[in-house]
Amino acid sequence: MNSSPPKPVLTAESLTVDRGGHQVLSGVEFSIAQGEIFALLGGNGAGKSTTLLTFLGFVTPTSGVARVNGQSVHEDIKAIHKQVAYLPEAANLYPHLNARENLDYFLSLAKADNSRARIDSALDMVGLAASARDRRLEAYSKGMRQKVGIALAILRDAPILLLDEPTSGLDPVAIDEFNSLVVALAGEGTTVLMVTHDVYGACQVARHIGLLQKGQMVGDFRASAGNPISADEVHRKFTESHL
Amino acid sequence: MMDKAAVVRIAREEWRFWLRSRTAVAAAAVVFILVITSLVSTAIRIETEREARLQLQAIAEETFRSQPARHPHRMIHYGHYVFRAPAPLATADPGVDPYTGTVMFLEGHKQNSATFSPRYTQADAGPYAFLSPALTYQLLVPLLLIVVGFACLARERETRTDQLVFTMAVNPGSFWLGKSLALAALAFATLVPLGFVAGNAWLQGENGWIALTFWLGYAVYLLCWVFLITACSVWSKRASTSLLALLACWMVLNVLLPRIASSAADAWAPLAGKVQSDLEIARELRDVGDGHNANDPSFAKLRAQLLAQYDVSSVEELPINFRGVVAEAAEEELTETLNRFADRRFDQELAQAELANAFSLLSPYLALKSFSITTASTNIGQHHLFLRSAEALRFSFVQSLNKVHAEVLTYADDVNRSVDQQSEQRTRVDAHHWRVLEDFDWEPASVSDRLSGSLPFFGMLLMWALAASILGWIGTSRGAWSQDG
Repeated sequence: MNSSPPKPVLTAESLTVDRGGHQVLSGVEFSIAQGEIFALLGGNGAGKSTTLLTFLGFVTPTSGVARVNGQSVHEDIKAIHKQVAYLPEAANLYPHLNARENLDYFLSLAKADNSRARIDSALDMVGLAASARDRRLEAYSKGMRQKVGIALAILRDAPILLLDEPTSGLDPVAIDEFNSLVVALAGEGTTVLMVTHDVYGACQVARHIGLLQKGQMVGDFRASAGNPISADEVHRKFTESHL
Repeated sequence: MMDKAAVVRIAREEWRFWLRSRTAVAAAAVVFILVITSLVSTAIRIETEREARLQLQAIAEETFRSQPARHPHRMIHYGHYVFRAPAPLATADPGVDPYTGTVMFLEGHKQNSATFSPRYTQADAGPYAFLSPALTYQLLVPLLLIVVGFACLARERETRTDQLVFTMAVNPGSFWLGKSLALAALAFATLVPLGFVAGNAWLQGENGWIALTFWLGYAVYLLCWVFLITACSVWSKRASTSLLALLACWMVLNVLLPRIASSAADAWAPLAGKVQSDLEIARELRDVGDGHNANDPSFAKLRAQLLAQYDVSSVEELPINFRGVVAEAAEEELTETLNRFADRRFDQELAQAELANAFSLLSPYLALKSFSITTASTNIGQHHLFLRSAEALRFSFVQSLNKVHAEVLTYADDVNRSVDQQSEQRTRVDAHHWRVLEDFDWEPASVSDRLSGSLPFFGMLLMWALAASILGWIGTSRGAWSQDG
């Protein structure tokens, strides 16, 4: 029996981005299959967030194409956004609203179920204390805001998750819970593109890791059956590429 | 495609942001207090003035008509007052009224300038007397909208919350429109008190269409600012840049251009000074005979004509009083000269106003200002109408009294009136003749004239609103939010 390879959900084809006369991405290529967790690793300024923003349509590539389910991102940006849930690095939510109000607002814009029970269930899932839910986000720590952002990404029920430094600011327990959650979602078929500079965290959850250095892919790691990606190997490559 | 539900929700959230922001609430509270204060104080002042002027007008008419028997020419010099009652919408926009005078003394041989009733001068001289409701809406409400709305989109861009909004499949056009709707709702909230004033003007006899158009003009003006603010916010990468750009816009459109317009109009269509005009008038009037002197050579031709017409050899034989006829003829000639100067002055003032109005294309503030005073009947054209009405009344009563002089008094009694008391008594005509004085029916320009006069300015306001909205729309559609720029 022939088993054809799974159709890629997210594809970067020779993605090149110039910004302000500076090349931020240079011929980046990767593809992510449905239900796969792909971690894009790299140091500061490597071009990780730019890659994510290109898939969101907020950055136009100078050349190359970012595709979602075979469709170029810039062809129908609204259609792409309907399939994608995005968690920005700083969980850019509204500080004047509390957790519930933030989620209610964004979900209503996305025309998703914004019932209080559903929102509370997601907040339970990310471990945000009930007593904090009616406090405005301006009084939250970075980790608490991140949890609300993660809750929003979950509540979108989107088939694709784009996560920018998702564990930034989270305590170790919350990081473990988050990692388990992402793995579970991938198990249900959600495709995850996660950018991070946390090598060990990435190796815990991702089955596929790309290493980005000064806008170029300098490493590609895949987990083999039953064996996770070696964090030491990735770390060594990461360090070498910075020398 | 516009997502109406998303637009409304974005607008609602913006309101929630403002209500939770002390700066926005404080700014709105201050402006609302100013709007209400200026409306109430101006309404009270204008209403008091209206009642007083109508009352004074009635008193002046009654006083004139109840004068005892006198020589008719004495009544010409006794004179009469006319008062300009403010138009109903003057409570919202007094226009040129505070600068042009509202009371005129009418007498023979003179066209006096309109002056102010001393009783109200003190009230008008307060430090904030200039702060009419119109000025509050024209200058301060846009500032409130700027303070509240400058960051509505730039803030989202700065904090990157806009990206999260767009990933909810909201298009930038809906986002911009939602913010514009929120700001427009605030603008319309400030217009509620003006709505009451317009409604009250309608109840006081103002035409309903005029009252509605007046309110609509202000609504479109504020809409210009709403779109200008959201356009500026969408094009600015930082909220601080948006604020600076909008304050610069406000300064240029609402302060600098009006100043330039006024100076340019003054330079391109200068008005003759009062002293210069008075000297010119005096020079021309020297050629007009003295109506008090029947032997003035200027009236020799008139005398000859009358003697021939009645086939008599001396004025004493005429069936009419030659002195009255001379007074009538002199007044007519004098009035013709004075009217010529008045017309020239009116033309100059209108030319100046038209030059200043041309700048309305460059500034929505100037467009609204012209629209407002035209609709409210408080522009220079209306003042001219008042002056013409007053002059028509003056000429009418002076000539009617001259006619009484010519037809009721005999020439012999008239020339001998200073001989003794009995002679003097004979030159007094009965008081019922003072009823020649007509009521002063000062009516503002017709509804159609006011509507057609204000239409170009309304069009300019619409053009500004449209241009600003296109600017904002281009900002959203060309992806001003993308990280490319």
